[in-house]
Amino acid sequence: MGMRTRTAALACVALVATGCGRDDGGSGEPTDGTTSSPAATATPTADGTSTETAEGGTLTVAISSDPGSLNPAITTSGAVHTAAETFFNGLVGLDADGAPVPELAESWEIADDGRTYTFTLRDDVTWHDGEPFTADDVVFTFEDALLELHARTKASMGSALESVEATDDHTVVFRFAEPYAPLLQQLNVTEAPILPRHVYGDGTALEEHPANAAPVGTGPFVFESYTEGSEIRATANPDYFKEGPFLDGLVMRVIPDEGTQLLALESGEVDFLWGVPGPDLARLQDDPDFVLESTPSNPGGSNCIMTIGFNLERPITADPAVRRAVGHALDRDRFVEQVLFGQGQVAQAPISSGIPWAHAADTELPAHDVEEARRLLDEAGWVEGDDGIRAKDGGPLAIDFVHFPTFAKYGELVREQLGEVGFDVELVALEPPVFGPTVFGEDDFDTNVISYCNGPDPEVGVRRMYDSALIGDVPFTNAAQYRNPEVDRLLEEASQTVDPEDRSPIYAELQRIVAAELPYLWLVETVGTRAWNARCEGFQPHTGLFAESARCADA
Amino acid sequence: MTTRYLLRRLAQLPPSALLILTATWLLLHLAPGDPLVALAGQYGDEAYYAAMRERFGLDQPLPQQLATYLGNVLRGDLGTSYVRGRPALSVVLERLPATLLLASTALLVSTTVGVALGVLAARRGGGRTDVSLRVTTLTLYAMPAFWVAQLAVLVLAYRLGWFPIHGMTDARRSLSGLAAAGDVLHHLLLPAAVLAAGELALNVRLVRTGLLEASRSDYIRTARAKGAPGHRVLYHALRNALLPVVTVLGNRIGMFFTGAVLVEVVFAWPGVGRLLLTSAQSRDLPVLLAIFLIVAGAVLVVNLLVDILYTWLDPRISYAAHD
Repeated sequence: MGMRTRTAALACVALVATGCGRDDGGSGEPTDGTTSSPAATATPTADGTSTETAEGGTLTVAISSDPGSLNPAITTSGAVHTAAETFFNGLVGLDADGAPVPELAESWEIADDGRTYTFTLRDDVTWHDGEPFTADDVVFTFEDALLELHARTKASMGSALESVEATDDHTVVFRFAEPYAPLLQQLNVTEAPILPRHVYGDGTALEEHPANAAPVGTGPFVFESYTEGSEIRATANPDYFKEGPFLDGLVMRVIPDEGTQLLALESGEVDFLWGVPGPDLARLQDDPDFVLESTPSNPGGSNCIMTIGFNLERPITADPAVRRAVGHALDRDRFVEQVLFGQGQVAQAPISSGIPWAHAADTELPAHDVEEARRLLDEAGWVEGDDGIRAKDGGPLAIDFVHFPTFAKYGELVREQLGEVGFDVELVALEPPVFGPTVFGEDDFDTNVISYCNGPDPEVGVRRMYDSALIGDVPFTNAAQYRNPEVDRLLEEASQTVDPEDRSPIYAELQRIVAAELPYLWLVETVGTRAWNARCEGFQPHTGLFAESARCADA
Repeated sequence: MTTRYLLRRLAQLPPSALLILTATWLLLHLAPGDPLVALAGQYGDEAYYAAMRERFGLDQPLPQQLATYLGNVLRGDLGTSYVRGRPALSVVLERLPATLLLASTALLVSTTVGVALGVLAARRGGGRTDVSLRVTTLTLYAMPAFWVAQLAVLVLAYRLGWFPIHGMTDARRSLSGLAAAGDVLHHLLLPAAVLAAGELALNVRLVRTGLLEASRSDYIRTARAKGAPGHRVLYHALRNALLPVVTVLGNRIGMFFTGAVLVEVVFAWPGVGRLLLTSAQSRDLPVLLAIFLIVAGAVLVVNLLVDILYTWLDPRISYAAHD
């Protein structure tokens, strides 16, 4: 283990020029084993009565990428969302368990047919420029921004939504053609940040709007300045409609190298990190000057599962016995230990445990059993040769494994463990812009690994993996090219069943089927580990409004 | 050197730049990689991709895309950044001052200190100073730049606390005037020194070798025999010894830029180098092309200046003969 750790750290140093950093899933560990401040898990309404820290102060936050733009309604970019969500709000918030809580909407009503949602908006909210927030802003945001340019909301809601209508200044009605289940999970500041029409709706194309670099929202912090590549400055919103913010201001510094980020935290140049490099986690955990807390939610995507996809159109991987053998050959605990450094857990089911009502923990996935893997391959006619590589009818058991450069360590472990049972694995590292067209456009792969973020609802991030209608050129959809009419039917049924209690068994059945057929292999659930200076407290690591109720004592 | 020669060289600059831009455009568009993947992230459907392709003109045939692009460039329009939705040129120009400050400081340090140490080493070839300088510079030159950078941050900034760890300014203070300049200088020193290290080492060795070689040449021996004072002899020898330094300077200006990418990442310096890296990762082609155009332009201009400098350093070099 010690040796491995060092190798990984060196690999990271060597990759510095290519942006060695955290993967989509970020880094972190489930909350057990980490210290956590009492206020950090509180609901948005939690006040700071338990603290003696003084109000005020400026929080300095490290962000990994320069966002380029600060409008989270027109993109799903993690860089933009990390930097910009704090200026905005959603209609509905999500608490640490993913349950909907009031935000810009104070209450809502779902019609019995599940096709009409009526939201009553708060009447005491003003935009940062002093104008009142109204239902018309919601209509504008959905029609002109989210359903046009926010890739996730557009893809999942776009075809289902019939209309968004303001029936008066403080009432918005969403109408769907069919019953629509996931709406309440799709209205938080990540999935649907609300923009003011009077600023962004002046006729300038939204993608090129000057306000994208100087945002106006309703959020806890008011935009002050943005120096590209360097920093974003914000001040507390004195008219914020929730309690807080307690800080005077917020500075986000762009620090691309995660090693530099950590040193900046430890030396006190910054107070808050969105992620901690795995190899440094243990050291930081033991340091009383810092607090760590992990969450499966990240502004760029939540509830991510590192997933191996099999190309079902290639002869070797089309054989279910081969796929099952791969499942038995892999020790998934080793991925948690050696790749994630404990920041995450082995996936227990095809749907993330971060969506508790949909996650079927009792799903049977292939357990680590090298002998069983060998037996399955023998039975399928793959005979081990002198070089340890199996062959059948003169053809070797050779497959490629396509991955992002940042996921190279997954590839190394896969090659090593599959090599033990007679596979010859060729690792192919492709940057995302090349990976997309190669895997999805040309279908040129045997196996690959993708961090499939399930999102706040299976309809957002799970359906795309299995729906046969989503086999095609669009990146990060149905990579395996999996077709099963029964699964298609279940997906459709689940999306139209509004009550989570009725939806659960549908998703459980779906997970049972895909776990039996194994178009994919679900390796590990990843989390993000936030770290902050112990002089600050009250963070909400699971949301982009992370500093809404934070406080810092004097440095 | 004649004015005609200079004018001709100047007139060659725009077509050269355009040629480089076209070649780079072709390379970037023929290389694999879809810029929309970075925009859509994990999500996006058929309709999203189609709409974005149309918006950026990526649905047009390549020759037409190139024609449109070059036409726009000739009108001074380098396109709109895919990621930012702002003119690519202004995105690059905003980041340029930070890199210019970093690179010119590094250039200044590596040249002045490099030449001075070279003179020092050559004063007594084989002496103790010479040997220790040669060992130090060889080590410095051989060490990978990313390693030097990380080591510098870890030891000089983090452990010893002599320098700040990241950025160009102190995040916690808002300063103005002289104090602000001092703050930037404090942040500048370490990254500039790291960027300068390799070039500095190279310059020491070039100057040392040049001076030692010159000291064995006839004209220096003659000068000495005539009883010229030491500093005059050094001046004559140095003028010759500087020729390779100047040549290297012209060739390495692009290298300085490459080095800046790495130093800017490690030190979180907000310059064009990092912009180049992230734009390459996300395939923000208009921004990439704007950077290439500016860097290519800088290399062309510096090489012209180097050619002019030659004639001053070595009067035997003259361009008039070619006219």
